[in-house]
Amino acid sequence: MSRRCAVVGSGLAALAAYTTLRRGGVAAEEIVVLGTHEDPTAVWRERAAAIRQQKMRSESDGHLAAASFPGLSVREAWRTGSPAPLVASLANRYHPSVAEFLAHAEKVRVRSGWKTSFRQRRVERVRAVDGGFELDGEEAVPHVLIATGHPGLARPAEYPDAVHAYEPHEYGARIVVVGAGMAAATEWRNALAAGAEVTSIRRRPPLRRPLNAPRPFFSKRGLAGFHRTAPVRRAGVLRDLSAPSYPPGREWDEPVESAMEAGRFRVASPAQRSGRDTQVICATGFLRGFRNDPLLADLVDAHDLETHEEWIVLAPDSTVPALTDERRTLALAGVAGQWAFPAADTIAGAKYAARAFLRRTCRTR
Amino acid sequence: MSYTLRGRIETRVVGILPALLVAIAVHRWWAIELVALMLAVGAVLDLGYHRALSYQPGWFAVPLGALELGVVYGAMRWIGIAAPLVDALALYAVGWAGAFVVANAVLPSRRLEYAESGGEVGRIGVLTGVAVLVALVGGLGADYAVRPPTIHLHGTVQGPLVIRHAGTYVGGVVKGGVAIRSDHVTLRRVTVVGGEYGIDVEHAEHVMLDRVRVIDTTLAGIRAYDAGVMIDDCTISEPAGPLVSGILVTYSMGRPMSMISGCTISGTREGIATHSSEVDVMGNHVLGTTERGILLGEMSMDMASHNEVVGAKGIGIICMDHSMCEISHNTVIGARVDGNQNPSRQGVAIEAYFYAEAQVHHNTVVASPGGVQAFDNSLITRSKLPQ
Repeated sequence: MSRRCAVVGSGLAALAAYTTLRRGGVAAEEIVVLGTHEDPTAVWRERAAAIRQQKMRSESDGHLAAASFPGLSVREAWRTGSPAPLVASLANRYHPSVAEFLAHAEKVRVRSGWKTSFRQRRVERVRAVDGGFELDGEEAVPHVLIATGHPGLARPAEYPDAVHAYEPHEYGARIVVVGAGMAAATEWRNALAAGAEVTSIRRRPPLRRPLNAPRPFFSKRGLAGFHRTAPVRRAGVLRDLSAPSYPPGREWDEPVESAMEAGRFRVASPAQRSGRDTQVICATGFLRGFRNDPLLADLVDAHDLETHEEWIVLAPDSTVPALTDERRTLALAGVAGQWAFPAADTIAGAKYAARAFLRRTCRTR
Repeated sequence: MSYTLRGRIETRVVGILPALLVAIAVHRWWAIELVALMLAVGAVLDLGYHRALSYQPGWFAVPLGALELGVVYGAMRWIGIAAPLVDALALYAVGWAGAFVVANAVLPSRRLEYAESGGEVGRIGVLTGVAVLVALVGGLGADYAVRPPTIHLHGTVQGPLVIRHAGTYVGGVVKGGVAIRSDHVTLRRVTVVGGEYGIDVEHAEHVMLDRVRVIDTTLAGIRAYDAGVMIDDCTISEPAGPLVSGILVTYSMGRPMSMISGCTISGTREGIATHSSEVDVMGNHVLGTTERGILLGEMSMDMASHNEVVGAKGIGIICMDHSMCEISHNTVIGARVDGNQNPSRQGVAIEAYFYAEAQVHHNTVVASPGGVQAFDNSLITRSKLPQ
């Protein structure tokens, strides 16, 4: 059977896309997944372990199965016999544990037939040809979803010896944490719990919001307006949303406030960094923009795709307009899909692109 | 969920399906009418919700459900849907729970894009919605086509008036009493003067007495025998003799639960009396009775709540003779001492008598020397009865 769909990438967004295609009735033999890791959680797992992340920021429906129900709260309630996860979920206070999320992801992977479709290979070039796309010059596939993930870790040049938060590390006695997002907040807590003195270096006060983006941006209600906005304004919205943030709540505030009273936590601007610090941790997230992703940069250059600032311009369904027509589809999932879905780097974002991709795939069956 | 307006309404239409199925299954027109009312009220409120709520967390279903319950109840009373209150509440509960399950489990599991499309239900959902609307419109149309006639009573009718067919009788004055011998009869704003029983319901159910006024009867203002009645907002006064009861519900245990609410009864021997029946006595005013204010007796299973009993002689509210009663949130003022020296009649506000079991809580007792007491192997508990 010839391949009808290709998923380029093998991370969480790729698995979300794969399970969605399978749920939509696309046979495992019709899909090829091309990526570097057979375990789609491998990269994410290492990063979560590096920052000692225990809980997900996402909520009950932040899982990789195709349908949002049953969510992780329902599964946990069923497993433990306690209604507490369901009640917490109703109040948007349920955040699954990382272990719960990963265990479910593994079940989803096994059940979906991922192994049948997976090929361990890094794709370096995608080219549009008649009726589809050649991946590194091989046989054309009509529908391709690129889900290559974040292009790399952002390392500020002024801290050449720093360890990145998403790399394995221990904590010294004095620590500087650069950044003000979720990873930084997690590192403050970790380092304080390890007995360290912490200096937080940041350019601006951190934003506090429950999810990466306002909730209306996760549905048609907010997206319809977003899709109507002019490119300049849309880019502005995306810049605002990419500002570092972490959720509100006592569990984040209390350790920092206690440490501040005890003189173990202080805030400094980049210029105020103390010389006696023994360890610098860059919780500065990821490189941004398609130019940092060699595959996307090559694609844009080869086909002269429309871009705006650091984003590839996409249709509302996450497809690349110039390379998508009735017979073929090129779609972007993950962070590269932000032009269509502001929270594209979340699981919800991955599913948004995947479902749109499925609709196009089914239409050409 | 961040609903679009279309998504809200589509979800609501599909979500009403469980309630509609129940309404069809119970074979009662009021149930169909109530489901249609729930849908209409919900759709109107959706316009407001859409403006006020850009995002609706799951728990919001609870306060919004309570709000809609109040509006639906008010609209039901205003329109005059003759639904038994407990059954109507049960249907509403089914509707609320069904809609919750549909919106939070069924649709998200069947339609992948449900959440991101703001609650819009797609092609299958639209077909389901159309089926729901067709069933509702068809049901209401059939209801309208076969509904019992409405008869307006003008001026004074010389009775007794015997009703043997379903129908709604509105207004007028009937002299000599009304005898109801058919199911599905409604009397609305009818005044009855005289007769042994002002209104006598026998072997009938789904009878509604709405805002009736009864005076000058010789045995009882309203009597229901082997019947299921809803009596709402009635007035019974000026009895023709000292032995006249206000409202009497007897031997109706095999019938649907009766309800007596919002009535004012004054000057009768007993205000409200039940025997071997299942009655919800709620929010009535019983004034100056020459005997007990409210009597729940003879193996009845009754609830008396939010009533006000003023100046009853001997006993304010009594649960007696093997009955099981829940007596709560009532106010008993000035229960008077009976002159016969019987300790159970010495101005007792609330009493359990002769192997009765009463659950009594949140009542207010004023100037009633007998207080709250149990006599003759009866039991009063201050918490829920054992199930």
